[in-house]
Amino acid sequence: MTRTLPWPVRAARRRGADPLVPLLLLTVGALAAAAYGHVLTWAMIGGLAGYTLSGSV
Amino acid sequence: MAVAVLGLLRELGLVPIRLPQNARQVPQDVLQRSLPRGALQFGFELGTGVRTYVSASAPYVLAVALLLGGQRLHVAMLAGVGFGAGRALTPLARRAAGTGDRWDADLRVRLRTITVTAGVVLVAAFSVLAVRQL
Repeated sequence: MTRTLPWPVRAARRRGADPLVPLLLLTVGALAAAAYGHVLTWAMIGGLAGYTLSGSV
Repeated sequence: MAVAVLGLLRELGLVPIRLPQNARQVPQDVLQRSLPRGALQFGFELGTGVRTYVSASAPYVLAVALLLGGQRLHVAMLAGVGFGAGRALTPLARRAAGTGDRWDADLRVRLRTITVTAGVVLVAAFSVLAVRQL
């Protein structure tokens, strides 16, 4: 018998993994890194560029 | 920064620019012949753009920025690692959601927001970096 998660847990899981969540994290990361002039800005921008190809295979 | 603005205008549909690409998919039998080797080939062809659809401007903006900005090798490698991680976020988020087709539908609806927002962020980030160098 498979156990399904309770509805609130499933809803939170779905919200937490919404396609916009990585975008939000990468946006904050890129802008924060840029504000500090940190070289990690390029990694965050790279991540953002990679994520924009979500619709492509 | 001008390239980032151009990329954003393209995402907004204001500038018609066709992105260079080899618009073909990696065939599935690549994975069927040998899974480890096939996965490596699949990732290589997808990641380097040998055979893939490029539906957004951001990757090209990044490449041009690295080239024209005269960035050092380690910066380009950082950007490349970030790019790979960004590509991996899609299947990871899909898996984390646990809703499969529903997540795909959500992505289709949100895709334009993702590409336009990324365009805006690229313009903003490059602007900030440029100001910091003044």
